[in-house]
Amino acid sequence: MTRSSPTTDMLDRLYALALCLYPAPFRQNYGLAMSQAFRDALHDHALSRRTLIPLVLRDLITSLAKEHFAMLRDTFARPALVLNALVLAGISTVIALAIYVIPLQVLRLGTDDPQVELAGNLTWQLEQGVAPTDAVPSGTVEMARSLSPFVAAYDEQGRPLASQARLNGQTPTLPRGILDFVRQHGEDRFTWRPSQGIRIAAVVQRVDGSHRGFVLAGRSMREEAVRQGLLIQLAGLAWIAMLGLVFLGTVCLGWFTRPKAA
Amino acid sequence: MYILLMAKGTAPATPLTPAVFAILLSLAEGDKHGYHIMKDARAPQGGGIQMGPGTLYGSLDRMMRDGLVKETGTSDDERRRYYRLTKLGQSVLAVELERLHAAVSSARALGLLPHGGRS
Repeated sequence: MTRSSPTTDMLDRLYALALCLYPAPFRQNYGLAMSQAFRDALHDHALSRRTLIPLVLRDLITSLAKEHFAMLRDTFARPALVLNALVLAGISTVIALAIYVIPLQVLRLGTDDPQVELAGNLTWQLEQGVAPTDAVPSGTVEMARSLSPFVAAYDEQGRPLASQARLNGQTPTLPRGILDFVRQHGEDRFTWRPSQGIRIAAVVQRVDGSHRGFVLAGRSMREEAVRQGLLIQLAGLAWIAMLGLVFLGTVCLGWFTRPKAA
Repeated sequence: MYILLMAKGTAPATPLTPAVFAILLSLAEGDKHGYHIMKDARAPQGGGIQMGPGTLYGSLDRMMRDGLVKETGTSDDERRRYYRLTKLGQSVLAVELERLHAAVSSARALGLLPHGGRS
């Protein structure tokens, strides 16, 4: 039997303390055997302390990092746990998208309501034979600045007959594609960008009768854009919060179901 | 057998880490406990690997999971644990030794090592 010196005992105790730094399952499995291997090394006269101590210190640093990393991998990178987290993150993303897209569509569809009524009224008047200049209310709406709804009447070729709307001092002309669509389908509801930075919720209807042509009813979407911005912020915050909950839940689940020492 | 296990992705790929190679080489001689393996690994003919208890038991833990070694018993006070090479461990060691032998032969052919000398 090898006799122990006070230095050997102290180093032995220090190493036993250092073993507490290893993850619990690893320590429970190998703590005693590691202590014994260290004690054997201390008593090995072929191995000087000047060689052993730096070797053990280096070994502690590298193996601690390795075992903690392995523990994290075994705890949190289990396929079932990762799959569970990915599915929950996917569901959260779909919910966040729904939080954004559904109100956005409701908002956009609601934006058309006044224009549908205005365009319907104007179409009806023109089809009754009222002159476009009489049917279109007087007054001017500057599309770039005003939030007021406006109407305009156009002939069969899309030339303006009467209009409340002004854009840079001119009556705006409708895109050719819209006129073709309305000729075939009778009506179109769309977001119109007549100029950079201007979005108009527009309704165009076909006019029959003596004043064949088209009517346009529109309204600036400036306020809707503000609401959309708010909506995307709320949906973004909800998404981040849900992903945070999924992350926390996964960490907790991983921790409570972590593999125990053999 | 080793090739079959490699194809299934259950055996470690060569080249092995120096610690794993040194442990396999030490256990090729017979059952040994932790410090005995560390001592063998430290010797030049054992790989010349300076390995502490953390690296040794971390490697042994992973090698047991990979089926390269198995625990055969403990000392009476349960402080010393003994390990043995499995059939798979022997195959993996043989593949690694062949790989190293080919590299040494190639180095000899290039004149980087003396012919007939100890490698």
